[in-house]
Amino acid sequence: MHNTTLSRAEAAATRPVSRGEVADLVREAQDSCMPIELVGGGTSLDYGGRVRGAARQLDLGGLRKVVDYEPRDMTIVVEAGVHMSDLAATLSQENQQLPIDVPRACEATVGGAVATNWCGPRRFGLGTIRDYVIGIHAVDGRGVAFKGGGRVVKNVAGYDFCKLLSGSLGTLGVITQVVFKVKPLPECVAMVVAKCPDLAVAEDALSRLAMLESPPVAIDLLAGPGWPSFSEDSPAEGCFLALRLEGTKTEIDWLFGRMQAELAAAGTRGIDRLEGGQGENLWSHLVEFPECGEVPAPSDGAAAKSPMVMQVIVPPSAVTRFVAELLSIDSRASIQAHAASGVITVCFSKFTPSDLSPILIARLRPSATCAGGSVVVVRTHLEGLTPHLIWGGRNDAVVLLERIKRQLDPMNILNPGRYVL
Amino acid sequence: MPESLDNVKAANPGPVLDYELLLDCVHCGLCTSACPTYAETGDENESPRGRIYLMRGVTDGKLGLTDRVRSHLELCLDCRACETACPSGVQYGKLIEPFRIAMDQADASRPRGDWFRRYILFGLLPYPKRLRWALTPARIAQRTGALAVARALRLTRLLPSPLRRMVEMLPSPRRNEGALPEFLPAIGKRRATVALFTGCVGDAMFRHVNWATARVLQHNGCDVHVPPTQACCGAIHFHAGANEPAWQLADTNLAAFDPQRFDAILNNIAGCGSMLKEYGHHWHDSQQPARAAWAAKVRDVNEFLDQLGPERPCGEIRAVATYHDPCHLLHAQKIHDAPRRLLALVPGLELRDLPETELCCGAAGTYNLMQPDMSSRLSRRKIENIRHTQARVVITANAGCALQIAREAREQGERLAVVHPMEILDWSYRGITPRWQSIS
Amino acid sequence: MDRSTLELADELRRLLGPKRVLDSRSDLAVYECDAFVLEKNCPSVAVLPESTAEVAAIVRLCNERGVAFVPRGAGTSLSGGGMPVGGGVMIVLTRMREVLEVNLRDRYAVVEPGVVNVNLNKRLAGTGFHYAPDPSSQGACTIGGNAATNAGGPHTLKYGVTVNHVLGVELVTAEGEVVQLGGPIDGSPGPDLVGTIVGGEGTLGIVTKVWVRLTRNPQGVRTMLGIFESVDDATQAISAIIGAGIIPAALEMMDQGILVAVEEAFHFGFPLDAEAILLIEVDGLEVGLDAQRDRIAEICRAHQAREVRFAADAKERLQLWKCRKQAFGAIGRLSPSYCTQDGVVPRSKLPHILQRIRAIGKKHDIRIVNVFHAGDGNIHPILLFDERHAEQVKRVLAASDEILTECLACGGSVTGEHGIGLEKLSFMNRMFSNDDLDVMGRLRDALNPGGLLSPGKLLPTAGACGMEQIHPGRHAPV
Repeated sequence: MHNTTLSRAEAAATRPVSRGEVADLVREAQDSCMPIELVGGGTSLDYGGRVRGAARQLDLGGLRKVVDYEPRDMTIVVEAGVHMSDLAATLSQENQQLPIDVPRACEATVGGAVATNWCGPRRFGLGTIRDYVIGIHAVDGRGVAFKGGGRVVKNVAGYDFCKLLSGSLGTLGVITQVVFKVKPLPECVAMVVAKCPDLAVAEDALSRLAMLESPPVAIDLLAGPGWPSFSEDSPAEGCFLALRLEGTKTEIDWLFGRMQAELAAAGTRGIDRLEGGQGENLWSHLVEFPECGEVPAPSDGAAAKSPMVMQVIVPPSAVTRFVAELLSIDSRASIQAHAASGVITVCFSKFTPSDLSPILIARLRPSATCAGGSVVVVRTHLEGLTPHLIWGGRNDAVVLLERIKRQLDPMNILNPGRYVL
Repeated sequence: MPESLDNVKAANPGPVLDYELLLDCVHCGLCTSACPTYAETGDENESPRGRIYLMRGVTDGKLGLTDRVRSHLELCLDCRACETACPSGVQYGKLIEPFRIAMDQADASRPRGDWFRRYILFGLLPYPKRLRWALTPARIAQRTGALAVARALRLTRLLPSPLRRMVEMLPSPRRNEGALPEFLPAIGKRRATVALFTGCVGDAMFRHVNWATARVLQHNGCDVHVPPTQACCGAIHFHAGANEPAWQLADTNLAAFDPQRFDAILNNIAGCGSMLKEYGHHWHDSQQPARAAWAAKVRDVNEFLDQLGPERPCGEIRAVATYHDPCHLLHAQKIHDAPRRLLALVPGLELRDLPETELCCGAAGTYNLMQPDMSSRLSRRKIENIRHTQARVVITANAGCALQIAREAREQGERLAVVHPMEILDWSYRGITPRWQSIS
Repeated sequence: MDRSTLELADELRRLLGPKRVLDSRSDLAVYECDAFVLEKNCPSVAVLPESTAEVAAIVRLCNERGVAFVPRGAGTSLSGGGMPVGGGVMIVLTRMREVLEVNLRDRYAVVEPGVVNVNLNKRLAGTGFHYAPDPSSQGACTIGGNAATNAGGPHTLKYGVTVNHVLGVELVTAEGEVVQLGGPIDGSPGPDLVGTIVGGEGTLGIVTKVWVRLTRNPQGVRTMLGIFESVDDATQAISAIIGAGIIPAALEMMDQGILVAVEEAFHFGFPLDAEAILLIEVDGLEVGLDAQRDRIAEICRAHQAREVRFAADAKERLQLWKCRKQAFGAIGRLSPSYCTQDGVVPRSKLPHILQRIRAIGKKHDIRIVNVFHAGDGNIHPILLFDERHAEQVKRVLAASDEILTECLACGGSVTGEHGIGLEKLSFMNRMFSNDDLDVMGRLRDALNPGGLLSPGKLLPTAGACGMEQIHPGRHAPV
């Protein structure tokens, strides 16, 4: 979090407690042409650039009811302001879970997680949050309360607002309530780590894991000094693989054997199975990484916030190539790649405004786009980046989304300047 | 194209149909992708659902029997793949066949019985002796290499199109074997008494397959009778809309084979087999029950052997092969596993799955002569799929398919041996190593 | 044919040549409906483009002339999605049927919209990967159509529906622009536009290319049958299985009515006196499967299952699935006509809805049999009748309406996988408020501003409650 001073908008935050109140407030804002910034837990307000020119904040933390939970249906209806940790606690009482891993879960809200379409390390095995949203309530930029989907796991009636609002960053509607389908908690979990002497070994290991009949639910490739617990004896170009296995005890034992064989065949070393506290510790590192984004300061090596965190999304087969490229740009960068999904988060150790052009504009973005992917500036110390610089150019999707934005938020009241809309 | 009244024929073939059968179609569309012509054109009018819709439209008087309607119906291969795909059990064959017959008969203005139909289709094909005789010049040309030269020089292009296709269709000559005797005794313990239907084209062009079949049956303890008075099955006539001659041929066969005497009436050509099995359905006169009883004895030789429990063949046949499902075996007779199980017994033979094996090769009886364009598209597709398996031997249990696949392979310069499952079994039982070079 | 249609056809012929433009009355007849046969209307012209550029050119031409147009795949929609309301140009995508790319390492394939669902899987045979959504019509329906309707199928219980397996689309917009949304990689930043287009029933654009996710084949699979004396016990067992934290790959139910028909058709050896059968499949790691299977068997027995049978081998498994997937076809043996619904209820409401269905059938004196995706709560009650009796037809319509209304009362939906199309338009006002529909209308207006693309589908026109059904459908597999 880099919002050092409290802005005028935050001072004027209002905290509605029902969808009706949200609708009234949005309508008011529209009538008075006073744009609003939507706030859930406030953990991702700067994710992909902050709202510009909002007159006030709409704090959705007041919408915090668990509306309905029927464990036998494996669905739960919650208001948008419910914290992700509270949701997890409620579900775990019934041995269930929403398998989406967000950093700072005690503060992050359900609405915010959906609005950012957050995905964590388990994306490969268990999907993104949009895959779990089966119903949604929202208020559009005219203050009209609407809903999409419903409370059943299979439903194709009407347009799927659950999808449209996932990742919309509050630009198309204020999410007030979400229905999730949920999953059973796994009986057992194990983390596996292995050290790769170089990226070629990592690539071999990754392509083996990708073709397995029974891959892990998460395959993370970790590189750089942001991973202190593993980097003591590793050479600069070294990296780690961290895998998460889920299933019954028997399944995990079998899987570990399988992983061990593949990892060894690829030439990785120090293959280890972490359980209990050690495993949990590593897992929480993996989940929190994009948020803490700490790198050793160039001066004294003490942990410091990264000045520039980017997300590079590329085909899984291109992950190691891009990790290599990122390390060649900044050998002190900390990198976490959800390798089997192709999502790379990089925390640069240093980044100045003059780096933008040669690194982001001329190098990373064109090569990622060329591979069919994208680069997003997740958060940065740098000031004044335009949305297009943060998200990439005005592509086909943006052209269509602008049309939708004009229909749903004609006065541009909702989160102006957020995303490219 | 806008409708003009001129090409709307007054006569309506609809009334010949059993209207209830039309109603069985619920328009679900699950048949479409199974239809080879639809797979090629993507036009629903060239799908079973579309054709049923057209027939129903004409029957209901909502549509005229225009040339366009006619062409969609004529383009149907009658391969019956749609019957396999249909979940509602629509009996498509019982719709398209009588409808096309009625369509032909109703249309007095069309040049019926053109020379090709009159002399070749109806005058020659059904009569093995005449056919063998008529083929003599071509056979001589083939033996002397003149045909190869003519083919190479594209001289065969000078022939009228259907005739040219027939010449192109000629299989490579095999050792000239004499006619089958009337009786071949079982070898070893007698397990069954069967009659063998030898077919017209079959006897003229595939006598070696008939021999192989008879020997395989003998080897499996069957007394094999070959009634000399048997005739063509009549399928060619029936499917080309000539009901009367087909009827007569059926009754000739009824007289030639006494069903009481045999455990089964066997055949080795899928097209003939399905016609023989349908004798009971087509004509409704006093003989109908007799024909139904007769038809109940008909078995494809693969089906029969598989049920009988085949003797294990010992001779090794080293080959990478693929099996092509003839429509009239797979779709019309629903025989899928039997030939595969038989072939799996042969030591050394590697049988690879053929992609789109359920899709017609384009032969479809005389279809390849009447609809050469669509027929070629389908045979090219078939060869493409065969190529995908990298097999050099194609095994199929129907004469038409064998001719079609061999012709297309030859045209594309693909060296493929096309053989019948009984040939493979025969070689294996006798310990003969086939010389693929001479077959392909 | 009027003058402007003639001119339009001529212009289309200039674009596509003479063979791929159909405008004779007989050629258009089959296109007057899809698998939903209650309402019919001929297009003015049907065209068979072979490329995205051709589709775009056709769409632009339609825009210039102000003519409506509608895309169509294999025409297997059970809700009338492929029926041209108000005529116009039908854009038939069945000639765009190439699998353009298969990439196993990055787990995607690129296909044209006319690729038949099962053909993609045939193409993938032997690779160890498959395309997961398996609607029962998969032998004929196209991936483009699957994307339009967000198609489901038995295995969506574990693997999700079409939208979970579409990574990107190439789209010809309603105005004829060609755009690409998403692509080979899952997770373009920003709102999930691909997920919005999928399930848009062809009203938001015409998909001309689809990037689909490929799923690794499971290492092993176990298929079993639970045979129950009562429907109630069977439905309670469903909740208990899922409640125990087991997500089967598929969990299907067939009741006695359908069993009789299926047994007659396929001779599987189903007991004809049982009230319900559950077809349950689990897949995953071999080492865990027997335990899972035994656990499910235990739960079934705890819910008074008379017998639990395991499929002995792959062949028996296929046979079981054939019985299930072709069950609808077998209905023909019970009754001359039938009509099926596509309601969804929360799983825990299954015992209730099935009791209600029985009562509704009794009340209207209509025989109703059931075969459905039990694990998803997606019911497909099949109402048997004879369409030649007008009075029976009325009772069937009334019973259908009551069943779907009951689904809504349970917090469910009127369609789980068939789509709204034309068929369920009248229910949209009951499922959604005017405000909901207003925002949906705005979404459509954003991407289909002239309303020329697929008019009269998915959203009821303002003021009207959709068309009144006068006749139930004779429906096919689900």
